[in-house]
Amino acid sequence: MFVNGEPRRVHADPMTPLSGVLREELHLRGTKAACGEGFCGSCTVFVDDDAVASCLVPVGLAEGRSVRTVESLADPAGALSPLQQAMKDNDAVQCGMCFPGMLMSLTALLETNPSPERRDVHEALVGNICRCTGYERIVDAALTAARAAGAAVEEDAS
Amino acid sequence: MTVPTAPSLYQPTSLDDAVERLAVAGPDAAPIAGATWIMRSPSRGEPFHREYVSLARIEELRRIDDDGATLTIGAAVTHARLAQALAGHPALEALRQAAATSANPSVRRQATVGGNLCARDFAAADLAPALLSLSARVVLAGPAGITTTPLSGFLAGRDNLPPGTVLAHVSVPLAPVVSAHARLTLRRAGDYPVAIVSVAATLDDAGVVESATVAVGSVEPVARLWPELAAAMTGRPLDADEAVRTARELAGAFTPRTSVEADGWYRLQVLPTVVGRAVRALESHGRDRT
Ligand SMILES: Cc1cc2nc3c(=O)[nH]c(=O)nc-3n(C[C@@H](O)[C@@H](O)[C@H](O)COP(=O)(O)OP(=O)(O)OC[C@H]3O[C@@H](n4cnc5c(N)ncnc54)[C@H](O)[C@@H]3O)c2cc1C
Ligand code: FES
Ligand code: FES
Repeated sequence: MFVNGEPRRVHADPMTPLSGVLREELHLRGTKAACGEGFCGSCTVFVDDDAVASCLVPVGLAEGRSVRTVESLADPAGALSPLQQAMKDNDAVQCGMCFPGMLMSLTALLETNPSPERRDVHEALVGNICRCTGYERIVDAALTAARAAGAAVEEDAS
Repeated sequence: MTVPTAPSLYQPTSLDDAVERLAVAGPDAAPIAGATWIMRSPSRGEPFHREYVSLARIEELRRIDDDGATLTIGAAVTHARLAQALAGHPALEALRQAAATSANPSVRRQATVGGNLCARDFAAADLAPALLSLSARVVLAGPAGITTTPLSGFLAGRDNLPPGTVLAHVSVPLAPVVSAHARLTLRRAGDYPVAIVSVAATLDDAGVVESATVAVGSVEPVARLWPELAAAMTGRPLDADEAVRTARELAGAFTPRTSVEADGWYRLQVLPTVVGRAVRALESHGRDRT
């Protein structure tokens, strides 16, 4: 499979959850696996174009596919993605357990809907549980990032 | 001491190959589609099968075809794709709602139609009542060939299918109905619904119900039709309050299940309210139509 653009060969049994392979075998510890049951969203990654719960993906089904984890969001020099920067600027992160998953779900939303309404953001985060923040700062940050990206596009066009 | 071997995964690209492999392996093997149910087997205390045969790479199971009279949905189509595809089919609103509101967004991008209908002991499947209300049939591929059967019979008998049986497609007649899906969850998003009601009806020009189909999920162990309520709704205008009263009178027809999420008596108690929500949604779809 291709992980964050690089071909990787893994040795785990095919029914091992992808989340475990990413963390234990490939040492990509950004992906969390808090519940292991598809409820909390902390393990969200992209498999091809779909943001999915990697704790429910048997690694065998990801064979030959492209996997993108939270580590792919910042550029290789370490600059945060606009969404990550907005989270930081809005002081949205507390313990951080839910964050890699939040970022991937929001990335999925912004890829399909670049100018979401508040309720679109709520709906996109239905499967991402945060025990610390009460969500609203995260939603504010996502909307800020979307608006900034929209403004940048308009500027380019003018 | 015997060390259990890790389950293996076979990934065919044709339906024939999948059926043959499953038939040869017998009860040691099972199909796997989105894996969202199977991957949680350990937490339900169920051992994995020795082999899984993946349906994910079989192109014909990933298609949705519309020939004007029937919508044919491949078993490996995900909830998210189905919801998207149904945006252009207002008559199938019950199914769109079911596909768009079950579970959470990432599970919907993974979980399939076939998995929803084939997961044994899963009473709270959303697509099952939605498809029942729309009079869907299932196309099964097995060692003896292809058979087509009404979904209601399939659901009632799905535990006794011969090894090698794969649900290949679901076919939904494109009839001029209005339909709606209502579900009640407790506590938080992502919980399984306590009761699910899907209703489809044909209305005459005056808004009188010519025929109705009502299906109920999550109340009994397997989703089923509620013909008595459908009969009571027929021949009169849609009326949510009246439907709630009738549902209350007729709810004794169900033998409700008790689980960790809710007791049986509670499911019966809320069922008429969920009926009311579904019929109210139908009233508004009916108004939109005129
Ligand atoms: C957090 C969470 C919340 C959920 N909430 C809901 C909800 O609100 N509503 C709801 O309906 N569901 C819900 N689910 C359950 C969800 O797992 C199933 O609905 C899902 O559709 C199963 O599909 P799958 O493709 O993942 O099945 P799999 O796990 O791949 O398979 C399930 C079963 O079906 C069999 N099978 C699969 N495809 C076929 C086929 N084509 N032919 C024969 N047998 C087959 C498999 O052998 C297995 O026994 C939820 C799941 C999670 C993780
Ligand atoms: S660990 Fe995958 S959803 Fe919670
Ligand atoms: S910041 Fe702690 S769980 Fe979300």
